[in-house]
Amino acid sequence: MQRSSASFDHFSSQLPFGPKTLVLGAAALVAYGLTRRSKTGTALAAAGGLLAYKAARGQSTESSTHAVFLLNASPEQAYKLWRNFKGLPRFMAHLKSVRELDSRRSEWIALGPGQREIRWHAEITDDTPNQRIAWRSLPNSDVYTSGSVEFRSDPQGRGTFVSANVRYGIPGGSVTSGLAALFGKNPEFVVREDLRRFKQLLETGEVPTTRGQTHGPRGIHGHTEQVLFREKTNLPDPQVALAYSHSA
Amino acid sequence: MKAVCWMGKEKMQVHDVPDPKILNPRDAIVRITSTCICGSDLHLYDGFIPTMEQGDILGHEFMGEVIEVGPGVNKQKIKVGDRVVVPFTIACGNCHSCKDQLWSCCDNSNPNAWIAEKMMGYSPSGLFGYTHMLGGYSGGQAQYARVPYADVGPIKIPDGIPDEKVVFLSDIFPTGYMGAENCNIRPGDTIAVWGCGPVAQFAIRSCFMLGAGRVIAIDRVPERLEMARAAGAETLNFDEVDILEALQEMTGNRGPDACMDVVGMEASGHGAMYAYDRAKQLARIETDRPIVLRQAIMACKKGGTISVPGVYGGFVDKIPFGAYMNKGITMKTGQTHMMRYMGPLLERVQRGDIDPSFVISHKLPLDQAPEGYRIFRDKQDRCIKIVLKPWEQQLAA
Repeated sequence: MQRSSASFDHFSSQLPFGPKTLVLGAAALVAYGLTRRSKTGTALAAAGGLLAYKAARGQSTESSTHAVFLLNASPEQAYKLWRNFKGLPRFMAHLKSVRELDSRRSEWIALGPGQREIRWHAEITDDTPNQRIAWRSLPNSDVYTSGSVEFRSDPQGRGTFVSANVRYGIPGGSVTSGLAALFGKNPEFVVREDLRRFKQLLETGEVPTTRGQTHGPRGIHGHTEQVLFREKTNLPDPQVALAYSHSA
Repeated sequence: MKAVCWMGKEKMQVHDVPDPKILNPRDAIVRITSTCICGSDLHLYDGFIPTMEQGDILGHEFMGEVIEVGPGVNKQKIKVGDRVVVPFTIACGNCHSCKDQLWSCCDNSNPNAWIAEKMMGYSPSGLFGYTHMLGGYSGGQAQYARVPYADVGPIKIPDGIPDEKVVFLSDIFPTGYMGAENCNIRPGDTIAVWGCGPVAQFAIRSCFMLGAGRVIAIDRVPERLEMARAAGAETLNFDEVDILEALQEMTGNRGPDACMDVVGMEASGHGAMYAYDRAKQLARIETDRPIVLRQAIMACKKGGTISVPGVYGGFVDKIPFGAYMNKGITMKTGQTHMMRYMGPLLERVQRGDIDPSFVISHKLPLDQAPEGYRIFRDKQDRCIKIVLKPWEQQLAA
C-alpha cells in the first residue's frame, strides 16, 4: 500500500495540472463510467473513484520541489542570468514581474488562474557569486515560499549543473497544495519547466514557443486538445518584441 | 495564405489561414516555392501518431526565399533574399546535442519536451508539422512558414539549380544517406533494403556511393522495384517470394552484411504475424507494426548491422531479441542529423554525382494536396513522390 501510494504521488507529480483538476477529471470518469451501464463502464467508474480518492487525499498544504539540468554554459554565465531578478519572468512562465527594492529585498508578482495577481516580498538569504542564491518570502505575503538555486561546474567539463529547490505553501494551511492553488498546475512540473526554460534561454538566447503561430481551424476536438496540451497556457510568450526593445 | 491542415484521420484540407509572424528573435519567414509530401506524413494521414490537433499545418520538406528575419538572427549566416532549403529537424545549434552534431536530438527546440519525455525518456528535437509531442510547429505545406533558429538549419542554394534538384535536401536525400552511412558499409558489402519508397531510393543510391557491392531491394510495387533496379539494385517482391529464404539463397546462407528498415511502423506483410499486428494496431494496443524490423533481425548476418531510418512511433511487440543478442547485431537509428549532410550532399548534386529529381512522379498545385495524400498512400497512378507548388493554380505534369 505504501509503495503504491508513493508511485501514485510520483505519477501525479509528473502531470501538468494540479490535484484539483485531477479530482475533477477522476469524477468525470466516474460519471462517464456509470452512464455506460456495461462491464467496461463499471470498471472505468471504479478506476475513476480510486483516482479521485487518492488525488483528494494526496493534497498537502506545502510542497517541496526539486529539479536539475546540466547545461552548456559556465557557472558565471548561469549565475549572472539568474541573479538579474527582473529578468526572471523571461523563463518563469507564471511571473508577471519582479522588482528589486534594495540589494536584499524584492517584490514578486505572479499570475494565478483567471489572471489573478499574487504578490509577495522576498529577501535574499544567501548570495554567493557563481555558486548559490537562496531566498525566502517575508511575512504578510500572499504565499509562503523559499528556495535556492545552485550552480556547480561539471568536473568532466561538460557544463554546469543547475539545481533548484523550491518550497511553496499558503499561510494558514489551506486545503489545496500551495503552488497548484496558485497556478493551477503541479509544483514539480512548474519548477522543472521553469528550469528547462532557463537552460533554453541561456543556451540559445530565447525560449522556444509556438504561442501565437498561425494554424488552421481547431474545431471542438482540437480546442479540447489545446486545453489538454496547453498550447496556449504552458508556453511562454513570443520574445521578439523584447529583443527589439533590447537592441533599440 | 493557403496551407494544408490536418483536420483528422484521412482528412487533409487546404484552408486560408493568417500568414506566419516572427515570434522569437532567431526566427525567419520563408516564402515557399516547393514543398513535398513525405512518406512519414502518411503516418499522420492514417492517424497512427498521437498528439496531432485539428488545424495543424502539415509539411516538413520545403524550400523558398527568406523574406524576413528576426533581430537575433546572425546575418552572416542568413539574410533576406537568400534562397534556402529548410531541414525538417529544428535545432538550436548551442546545446550539448547540437555541439555533438546530433542535430535531430537538439535539447532546446521542442517547447513541448515534457510530452515527449513521457514517452521516450528524453525529448528529441522539434520537427515542422509533426505532432505536438515533437514541438507543434506549423509546417511547410503552405505558402509561407516560420523557421526558428534560422541561422542554424537552412542552407543557402546558389541560383541556377532548379528547386527539383535540391528540395529533397530538406529530408529524404540526407535521410537515405544517413541510413546508408549507419550500415557501416565496407567495400563490397551486401546491403538488404526493405522498402523502395522515396527515402529508400536515396538509400540504395547512397549505399553504392559508400562502396556497397550489392544492394538487394525489397518491395511489391512494380514501378518502385523498377526504379531500384535502375540504380543497380537486385530486387525481391515480398508478394512472390519468402524474403528470408531468398536472402539466404542470394548470400550463400551468410546473410546481408547490413539490413536497412526504410519502412517503419506501417509495414505490410503476409501471414499470421501480419494479421496479429494489424489487429493490435487497430485496437490501439500496439502503435507500430514491426514486420520489417523482425525480418531484418532474422535475416541479418551474424555480427552485422541494422539501420533503421523508417519511422516508429511508440511500442512494438514480439521482437526476436534473442536473435538480436545472440547474433551480435548492432542497430543504428535516429531522425536524420540534417546539418551534417546538407552541405556535402549539395556538393554532390552540384558535381552531378546524382540528380535527386529522378524520384518525382507528380507535381501538383497546393490546392490538390488532399488528392495527393490519397494517391500517395494508396500507391495509385504510379505515385512515388509528390512535389507541391504553393503559388501555382494549374500544373501541366
